[in-house]
Amino acid sequence: MTRSMKGVVRALALGLAAACSLAAISGASAEELLLKGKRIGVSAIGTDHYWDLMAFRGIQDRVKELGGEVIALDAGRKDQQQIAQLQTLIAQKPDAIIEQLGNLEVLNPWLQKIRDAGIPLFTVDTATPHAINNTTSNNYNIGAEIALQMVADMGGKGNVLVFNGFYSVPVCKIRYDQLKYVLTSFPDVKIVEPELRDVIPNTVQSAYSNVTDMLTKSPEKGSIGAVWACWDVPQIGATQAVEAAGRTEVKTYGIDGSPEVIKMVMDPKSSAGAVAAQQPYEIGKTSVDNVAKYLAGQKVPPFTFVPAVLINKENAAEKGKPFLDAAEKAGVK
Amino acid sequence: MSATTLHADASVPDEKQAAAKSAGRRFGALVVRLGAIAAFAAIMAYFVIFAPGFTSTFNLINVVEQSAILGVLAYGMTAVIIGGGSDVTEGGIDLSIAANMGLCAAVYATLLSMGYGDFLSVLAAIAVGMGVGALNAVAVVGLGILPLLATLAVLNVAAGMELTLTQNTVVGASSPLLGVLVSGSFLGISALAWALIVFSAIMIAVIHGTAFGLRLYAVGGHPEAARAAGLSVPFYVSFTYVLSGFCAAVASVLTVSRLSASTPGSGELLLSVLAAALLGTVFSRRFVPTMGGTLLSVLFIGLLANGFQLLNVSSYWVNGVQGALILLVVAITSFARGSEGSR
Repeated sequence: MTRSMKGVVRALALGLAAACSLAAISGASAEELLLKGKRIGVSAIGTDHYWDLMAFRGIQDRVKELGGEVIALDAGRKDQQQIAQLQTLIAQKPDAIIEQLGNLEVLNPWLQKIRDAGIPLFTVDTATPHAINNTTSNNYNIGAEIALQMVADMGGKGNVLVFNGFYSVPVCKIRYDQLKYVLTSFPDVKIVEPELRDVIPNTVQSAYSNVTDMLTKSPEKGSIGAVWACWDVPQIGATQAVEAAGRTEVKTYGIDGSPEVIKMVMDPKSSAGAVAAQQPYEIGKTSVDNVAKYLAGQKVPPFTFVPAVLINKENAAEKGKPFLDAAEKAGVK
Repeated sequence: MSATTLHADASVPDEKQAAAKSAGRRFGALVVRLGAIAAFAAIMAYFVIFAPGFTSTFNLINVVEQSAILGVLAYGMTAVIIGGGSDVTEGGIDLSIAANMGLCAAVYATLLSMGYGDFLSVLAAIAVGMGVGALNAVAVVGLGILPLLATLAVLNVAAGMELTLTQNTVVGASSPLLGVLVSGSFLGISALAWALIVFSAIMIAVIHGTAFGLRLYAVGGHPEAARAAGLSVPFYVSFTYVLSGFCAAVASVLTVSRLSASTPGSGELLLSVLAAALLGTVFSRRFVPTMGGTLLSVLFIGLLANGFQLLNVSSYWVNGVQGALILLVVAITSFARGSEGSR
């Protein structure tokens, strides 16, 4: 308990410091943590989304900063390829493996094999019993905060369109369950059945047409109050659809904090109501710090939370800017 | 392609000139072919010397395992190209094979999760796979649609059915058969690797060791001549598409075992399957697809990804190199095919 509390406090400090100055914090920790002569395998299911790319970069940059060697593997969102890469990675016997997202059902037997081979396993945003530590955002918090923001904006009543295509993804499950839990206290807020399905690829286009169809089905203004998704790429399509249909009373909510969505929330005229912005780059770096600590013989908690920031219409100008600056610095629009 | 037509039209007085031209082309093709094989060999040699752990038995068996699914699919594609002729635009091709595998995997995993046993579920997957193959056959042979377009349409049908069935979700699966495929091993070689070895042996024996296989080549190489010799061209061509569907079903069982589930996105494999079937022609003296050639190129593709990872070269390069090799081989075969018309 105290250990995980410490982790949270540490993560909080890290996040705050990072918001002010990325350079200062890395300089400070580099003195104590070292990965000289260590090889760290990194396996990501894909890097086609902002979050994935930033976390993947954060891991690689941090390993190099600490003097380690990275074996970086991007599976291009192909399960077969990720499994093949993990299989070969096990044979390469790195000092530790960091696994970032993917289908747990597919991954778990292979994560077990990593442990069986005696290789320390760490995960990013992937909760599995096989990992020594999972570094992620506090998705319980995020899920509740974005749901409460939505309920507040709706005035405690109305209908919500919910994208629930990825309930099998653990973080989406948590956020969705938190939404449901919050709604138990607000019986006048109802989820429209059947729920919508977000897809990969063509997420934006598909969300756009789904929401357009639903708005056509409920033509009277006010019949739909909000659109919710467990990440923010469907939110882009939903926001565009709402605006194209002239139904600006509908507000959209999502999680992750892609620069495009943050800009939408910052735009007072946009229908994007709020987004919970995570710090994927920091999450990646923090995961590596956990690896370094573990390899140095220190104990690490089973999970580390890196704080997320709820960006809404009121605080967008102030809270959104650091995220956009960080994205620009990383060369991502 | 235009070279092929030229040869078909070549009339008797031009024969000498054509023969001389053909000899020149043949020599050129030989040089290019040996060059391509040398490039393959050079890449392998580089891996052997510089990639740590590349030649260890453990690693090589890993690669065979990783190649099993691609290999089984590539055999299906190869059979279709043999039977339909290897003209890239008008010849045999089965673009639906990877999507078909996705559909079969979805059917297999769904039935298993509903509590039907292995026997029934595998049977259903095979029936669906061969059914999709038969649909291709009807479109290509019955309706006379260009295979490239017919199988593209069937690709969409199969992908759509898979989405309808799974709602784009991961369907977990476990069964005694899957258990054996995942953890079984014999003589130190894993079950999945055995699957590829046995399947390869059967395909090579059927296509290269029987009169049936020889007739299939005749049908693909010279449909007119095959017809004149009394072979039923539609039967042989239809057979290849159904066989391709069967391969998709077999691969689907292997893929469910490897991923412990049916997952969306099987269609992604298509490029690698095509690459394997087309690259394989380089290993044939006459630039025709062969099962042995396909096996070699499947293993080559597997070793390429493996070697790059062992050398810690970015995985992004693998796709690039694979694409470049396809381009090279298609260019060589189109160029060399001219020498083949007058065989």
